[in-house]
Parts: sequence; C-alpha cells; structure tokens
Amino acid sequence: MGLDWSVVYDYRELFIRGVWNTVLLTTVAVICGTILGLFIGLGKLSDKIYLKAPAAIYVELFRGTPLFLQILLIHTAVIPGIWGLFFPEAKVPEALFSGFVALTLNAAAYIAEIFRAGIQSIDPGQMEAARSLGMTKGMAMRLITIPQAFLRMLPALGNEFIALLKDSSLLAIIATPELGYAAFNVAKNTFERFPPYLTSGAIYLVLTLFLSRVVVRGLEKRYTPK
Amino acid sequence: MKIGKKWLATLALTVGVGLLVSACGAGGQQASGGGSGAAAGDSKVYVVGTDAAYPPFEKMEADKITGFDIEVVQAVADAAGFKIEVKNTGWDPLFDGIDKGNVDLGISAVTITDERKQKYDFSDPYFEANQLILLPEGTSVTKLADLKGKKIGVQSATTGEQVVKKAFGDTYEGIKGYDDTPSAVDDFFVGRVDAVVADNAVLQDYAKKMKDRKFKLIKDDSFEVEHYGIIVKKGNADLLNKINQGMKTIKENGKLKEINDKYFGQ
Repeated sequence: MGLDWSVVYDYRELFIRGVWNTVLLTTVAVICGTILGLFIGLGKLSDKIYLKAPAAIYVELFRGTPLFLQILLIHTAVIPGIWGLFFPEAKVPEALFSGFVALTLNAAAYIAEIFRAGIQSIDPGQMEAARSLGMTKGMAMRLITIPQAFLRMLPALGNEFIALLKDSSLLAIIATPELGYAAFNVAKNTFERFPPYLTSGAIYLVLTLFLSRVVVRGLEKRYTPK
Repeated sequence: MKIGKKWLATLALTVGVGLLVSACGAGGQQASGGGSGAAAGDSKVYVVGTDAAYPPFEKMEADKITGFDIEVVQAVADAAGFKIEVKNTGWDPLFDGIDKGNVDLGISAVTITDERKQKYDFSDPYFEANQLILLPEGTSVTKLADLKGKKIGVQSATTGEQVVKKAFGDTYEGIKGYDDTPSAVDDFFVGRVDAVVADNAVLQDYAKKMKDRKFKLIKDDSFEVEHYGIIVKKGNADLLNKINQGMKTIKENGKLKEINDKYFGQ
C-alpha cells in the first residue's frame, strides 16, 4: 500500500496556517488560563464561602465535562448569545475566538487545582513567619508563598500546557483553522488518511517536545535557587 | 468500613457478570442473525453504510435510519432480491469500511466524480443534484465569483467544497470546512461565514424549516449538475451488477419516482 505524501505538500498552506494558529491559540490560552486559574485557585483556598463556592463549582464543571462539548456549547450557543446581547449589530467572532475562550476556561479549571495544590504544599510555618514579620496576609501570599509554590507547580503546569496544545486539535469540529483541522480536512478531501494524520502528529510531537524541553525545563532551571 | 468494602465487591461482581452476560448475548444475536440469513435465497446480508446526518437524504429518527437514500437502497435490494442491513457509519468510516470490507455498499448522497471513481465503483445514478449558494437576503452577489475574499462555509469533502476550491484554490483562506452542512448553516445565521455552498436538496430542506429567517438561495449556472450513486469496493462486479439490476427495475416500475415525489415533490 503506497502512501501518497504529495497531498501534504499540496495542502502545505493549510498546515502552515494550522501550526501558526495552534501555537497562537495555545499561547494565549495558557497565559489567560494561568491568570484566571490563579484567581480561581486562590478562591478555592479562601475561607469566605462566597469566594470558595463559585470557584469550586467552576472547577467541577469545567473539569468534569468533556472539552469537546464545552467547545461546541461555547461556539454555537454561549458566544453568539452573549455577543448578540451586547453587540446586536456586530458580527459574531469567528471560530478562532471561540477556541481561545473554550481552551482558556477549560485550562483555568485545571490550573486552579495546580495552584491550590502548590500553595497548600508550602509549609504553613512560612506564612506564620511572614505574618510575624508584620506582613499582611496578601503580602505574605504574594511575596513568600506563591513564588515558592510556583516552582513546585512548574512540572504540573508544563503537563497542562502540553495537554492544552494537543487538545486544541478538538477545535477542528468547529472549523477553527488549526493543525488538527488541516489534517482532518486533507484526509477528508484526498481520501489519504495516514500522510496528513502522521504529518500533523509529527508536528504536534515537535511542538510538545519543544514546550517540555525548552520552555518548561528552561523555566525550571531559571527559577530553581542555586 | 467492612460493609463498605463488601458492598463495593458486590457491585464490581454484578457489573462484571453483567458485562459478561451482555457480551455473550450480543455474540448469540449475531450468530442467530447469520443463521436466518442463510435460510433465505441469498445467504449474505449486505451491510449498507451511510452517514445519517444529511437530511432529507439520510437521518436518524430515534434509533432508526430513515430518508430518501435509505428508501432507495431498500427498494433496490428488494427489487434485486438481496438482504441489507443499514448502519450509520459516518462519512469517513463509510469509505474506510468499504476499503476494509466491513461495509459492502454505501449510499449517502455520494456524488459520482472522476476522482472518486478511481477509488470506488459507482452504481448507475439515482438522483440529480446541483449546488446552491446560501446568502443574506439583501445581497448583491449573483454568482460564486462575487464571493472572492469572503468566508464561505461548506461541508468538508463534499462537492460544495469542491466548487469553491475550483473557483478560489485548494487552500483559499476563506473556506471553512465543517463536519456537516447544518453546522455551516448555523454559522451563516450567526454571521461567522458570509455564504454557504451546498446541495440544493439539503439547503431547500433547511429553507423549509427556517421560514422565519431571512436568506436567499442562488444558483450559479457554472455549477455542473451532479449525480448521486451507490458505491461499492472497486472490482466488486457481482454486487454492482445486482445493484444496477435492482436500480433498473425501480426506475422502470416507477418506484424511484414515487420515493422522489415523496421527498421532493411539491
């Protein structure tokens, strides 16, 4: 059985656009998801029920339902609905935007748990010491606990980023022009399945290897105290 | 604690036994199905694959697959004297199943094209279709070429996508290839794409259901008329002959026209 690799070359533009959009989507979702995740994680650690309950519900909802369904719901119902409410005349944003939103919201749930675990892993004595030095609770959290927790969280965060990069391929279902979409589209159109799937698989592998070796390991090295 | 563990063990055992029983049951059913087939004239029950998400040609109605194509293939099978079992395989696995031999024949509004003919054998055509462009009501667009630079929704790997690619190139940035036509139409109505190109019967069926929406359907005269055929594995002449013989019968005795009128008559 001969594999026709020329189809990949013929559709190279789709793959190039796909890689660009995949990297863009993942980067933005990672950054926004980390910020949102930090606040939700802190919310879960709060003593105040009005902060704790919504954060806990958020995590359970987004961690407990398939990303695939979240993407479909956000793209077909949530975004057109909200957009229509605020900007009735404007065009609804495209699938790329739905992709950002879905990936960010989903990643935030996992990242919140990573933050919570990281913060809880820091000896409470650290907080007590900081407080006894006269720091406020917020200051101690910001200056003492979170920097230490962040270091412990890096491997778990790296895992989450890699998962997110791969999961972005699910956006193919709403025709977001990312890498998974390129493979899906070429396979459908040319009836050649292995060449486009293997090509996209290889590209995902290169991207995740880069992420784990260079980005995550680099961060770990940089922030590990000598 | 002890009670809890016992309870868990009981549950695990129940589930395990249940799985085992249902697995045996399924196996038994398959065997008996084959047996009853053997009793009839033609021993083989042919597996018909379809992507049952393309109304009015094929759709799931509760757990039953219905639609124009399904009635046609049933009529063909009846006329040619063979038995069929229709399975909802989805679009890609339909072709894959035919390659691998899990699916004997496929009917799923498949347009007969030269490209597909190189990989599969087609029966005589049973339906004539053409592409339409779905556009906003007040548009000035009169033909496909006017849509250059705009976003066009299509169903991936359909002839709708092919005409757009033919006009604007294989990797035209504006093509949005959806997994199904309704998703493309949904995105058209919320404004994510400027137009949708798809089969007339499907768009008209949608138009009927969305009377309150404002839109316009345009026919571009440069679009070629298409014919739908039933596909079989390349070289499966035996089955193809049976299908064509049945097709000839239902064309001559008016059964095909009857089904056609039922679905597409005024």
